[in-house]
Amino acid sequence: MARLPVLSAALLATLVALPARAEDQPPRKPTGDVPILHEEHAAAGLIQTYDGPWEFFVGGGVAAFDCDQDMKPEALVAGGKNPLKLFLNRSIVGGPLAFEETSLGLDEKDLVNVLGAYPLDIDNDGFTDVALVKLGRNLLLKGGPGCSFAVADKTWSFDGGRAWSTAFAATWEKGERYPTLAFGNYVDRAQPGSPWGTCHDNDLYRPVAGDRPRYAERQALTPGYCALSLLFTDWNRSGEPSLRVTNDRQYYRGGEEQLWKVPAGKPPALYDRGDGWQRLTIWGMGISQFDLNVDGAPEYALSSMGDTKIQMLDEEAAEDTPIYKDIAFERGATAHRPYTGSDLRPSTGWHTEFADFNNDAAIDLFIAKGNVEAMPDFANFDPSNLLLGRFDGSFAEAGAEAGIATGTKGRGAAVVDFNLDGMLDLLQVNRGGPATLFRNLGVASGARHGPMGNFLGIRLVQKDANVWGVGSRIAVKTGTRTMPRDVLVGGGHASGHLGWTHVGLGTAERAEIRVQWPDGEWSHPYRVFANQYVLIERGQAAAKYWYPSD
Amino acid sequence: MNRLPVLLAAAMAAIAPAAASEEPWAETTIGQHLVLEEIAREGEAAIDALILKGETLFRAKFTTLDGAGRPMATQAIVPTRRKRPIAETFSRTHGPDANACVACHNDPVAGAAGDFVANVFVSEGFESADFDSLDPQFSNERNSNILQGSGLVELLAREMTADLQTIRAAALKEARASGKAVTRDLSSKGVPFGSITASPDGMVDITRLDGVDTDLVVRPFSQKGVFTSLRQFTINALNVHHGIQATERFGARWTGTPDFDEDGHVDEVSDGDISALVAWQATLPVPTRRTDLPDVWKAAAARGEALFAETGCASCHRPALPLESLKFTDPGPFDAAGTLKLADVEQPIVIDFVRFAWVKALPRDEQGRVLVPLFGDLKRHQIADQRNERLGNELMAQRFVARDVFMTAELWGIGSSAPYGHRGDITTLDEVIRAHAGEATDVRKAYETLPEADRKAIIAFLKTLVIEETE
Repeated sequence: MARLPVLSAALLATLVALPARAEDQPPRKPTGDVPILHEEHAAAGLIQTYDGPWEFFVGGGVAAFDCDQDMKPEALVAGGKNPLKLFLNRSIVGGPLAFEETSLGLDEKDLVNVLGAYPLDIDNDGFTDVALVKLGRNLLLKGGPGCSFAVADKTWSFDGGRAWSTAFAATWEKGERYPTLAFGNYVDRAQPGSPWGTCHDNDLYRPVAGDRPRYAERQALTPGYCALSLLFTDWNRSGEPSLRVTNDRQYYRGGEEQLWKVPAGKPPALYDRGDGWQRLTIWGMGISQFDLNVDGAPEYALSSMGDTKIQMLDEEAAEDTPIYKDIAFERGATAHRPYTGSDLRPSTGWHTEFADFNNDAAIDLFIAKGNVEAMPDFANFDPSNLLLGRFDGSFAEAGAEAGIATGTKGRGAAVVDFNLDGMLDLLQVNRGGPATLFRNLGVASGARHGPMGNFLGIRLVQKDANVWGVGSRIAVKTGTRTMPRDVLVGGGHASGHLGWTHVGLGTAERAEIRVQWPDGEWSHPYRVFANQYVLIERGQAAAKYWYPSD
Repeated sequence: MNRLPVLLAAAMAAIAPAAASEEPWAETTIGQHLVLEEIAREGEAAIDALILKGETLFRAKFTTLDGAGRPMATQAIVPTRRKRPIAETFSRTHGPDANACVACHNDPVAGAAGDFVANVFVSEGFESADFDSLDPQFSNERNSNILQGSGLVELLAREMTADLQTIRAAALKEARASGKAVTRDLSSKGVPFGSITASPDGMVDITRLDGVDTDLVVRPFSQKGVFTSLRQFTINALNVHHGIQATERFGARWTGTPDFDEDGHVDEVSDGDISALVAWQATLPVPTRRTDLPDVWKAAAARGEALFAETGCASCHRPALPLESLKFTDPGPFDAAGTLKLADVEQPIVIDFVRFAWVKALPRDEQGRVLVPLFGDLKRHQIADQRNERLGNELMAQRFVARDVFMTAELWGIGSSAPYGHRGDITTLDEVIRAHAGEATDVRKAYETLPEADRKAIIAFLKTLVIEETE
């Protein structure tokens, strides 16, 4: 994220330089359906604006999760200087989106200065809790019945600190009943010379042994390089997630992207040159992972100013070394400047998320876009990207045709199926303007909209600890094709969701699901039919289907 | 694809196999492609021509000029590429294995059964896409089913699906309202399908289903009971047996290319072409009973029909199932993406079966429902066991259905459709009855313990169930 200075001309040249004259190539066209995304935040009653002074140029997150046990995701939307708002999902299945704002029952001071929010069940009680990423003391909200929430920092011995926090991730380390929490921090404004080169350390909180969550011990992840997204990720299929950190080069000095080893019971340690880690400096804003080549090792989409990176392990590198190559250009996913309009200046990317918007079984990539505020060297009209996956593995832009090419300043987002019609909707938080809410209507078919490919919604359940199976890998197989999904808490930009894992199936009417649970154990195959919501309880012989009440 | 209004196209197809722009002797067979929505708009007026076109396509000997062959695609129902091209147009193992639909569905009339020589090898075409062996570990060998009456069968299945899903919805509603788990038996048209338990949280336990898929869709077609509709069956069969790929499954929308099989032909059959094939198959008259019998046979058949019920045969081979509605929509309501479904179209083609004299001749029950005399229950059963594997001689499960489980064979037309069994390797009715095992063990034993005259009477009855040869 860049805010204060104007970038040098040389830097700009670097930003827009591409390996080939992309403008000479006709743009790739989507091969599958283009979903029509209908903006209806006002009609839906979801009114929230993320705003505030420069501390809120970053952030702008949303947590999407169910808190009233109807399995439809609610939306908890950060407001920056404005209060955090919780919107209960009142949408009818397949119908227009509808939300009802409800009180969180928290003190006003707790509701403001929120940059981001991530849902997770910290205490394994079946009620989703929330980690609030704040300017100042971070909060852990303990969820209860009927969408009730209480600040649990004291209860869980959690000191939220005083940093300017911007990112969050969580994982259940081997043998642990409660999650390890990581908070990413931005500029340390109290340091002399701030904001240049004064990035705050990041924080790691491991649970202290006991019968309730206790996070009394903070471990500093030093050095910090102004993190804007964190993600626990099993990059090398070792069974032990590492912590990926994307950092904003605008403020660090001598910094880079980071990958932390987080060995169970031992202090975290950075991957360094000796491990093969290579220096990469970007304006890192958001991380999303997806195993594009289904080899077990995820690829990463890293949003930035200018071009988006998609990192894939370099197959020519030594095994088990974190050496990546950037495949964004060859896949047509650099998304480096606006795809519509006359503004040719570089884009500013924020939330990234792999998801299948058109249910064609080819994964898509959403990137929220928006100028930091009024940066003159970056596009002012900077529409978010809907990069639809093509059947040859590349991506093609469909944001304009889909209807998301608006003039907002996008930040965080939630790509979830709010009305449980099997098609992913989109809630995008915007700086300085109302959050936008897009209902996926399906494919345009004459004057109407029709259904797209088949889908599955999958929910994993473990007993006692890590009830959502965070860290699991889901492999959905149809014919010779495997569609992987990871259940993770973290990444994106200040935003997360917990609920149905959505999988597009294309033309397959049935599928086999296997789950690699967080401890590495693979399940047997579960045979399910398409267009179902499927519950897989660990150890159970058969899956269950779930149906909405309307 | 070139497209013409349906009536014109169908009329042209009736007089010549080639497209209008081609010579009358052109070596193409499909002709002008039809457009489903145009047919639907024309309504009832288009139906006769549509059926006629369907028959033309069913009898057509597809050529490479039509797009026959699939050098780079397997027989799988989900578009699946081969790793390397195949040189031959035809192969008896992985297919394409037939030049025309009628090549295997022809005995005693078009649309009916086939001899053993017409068997096909069913492989899902995923992992063993290039198999070249007849070893049953790679494929299951199947004999042709008859298609007569299949429109009414699909209508029955749709109503049964709706019934089962209604029971599920009611159980869920009650569970949510009461806060307690609710277990309900699943049954439609008198056929039981096990039970489900709905929980107050909306979960449904599907472990006690019997003979139906877990989504409660009754899939009435194929010997295994794994196809939802004639439309789905037709699209599958065109690809498997002929290498003709339907746009709605293999087209650019789902594969990124209009020529997925890389045979140089794009969009080989249209949605309207599939509708024509569906219309013809769906409207094939139901099999009938022979009436031109000597008195001795009539008497034996009457006694045999009673014994058929008394021994328990009719518990699965139900003489008739009641049908509420005679309106056949194409596409239908329960298909999934890859086969057009009702929600995909502005307006479906509607064929009101009341228009057919053979439907008017069917009996009705006291509620006015047409009694469809299929001698089946549209349910799957375990039909083989370790003691008697004759009907379980396949090694591969198919689409989640275990190797020894098959859809109850509808016995209408059985007198015209020897050989018997799903492999078509049983020459007499007595043998195939004795081959029953698994869930049918007791009934088979009851048959075997009957006096010889009674067994013969049952055979006498079954041989009256015939397909009329009116061609």
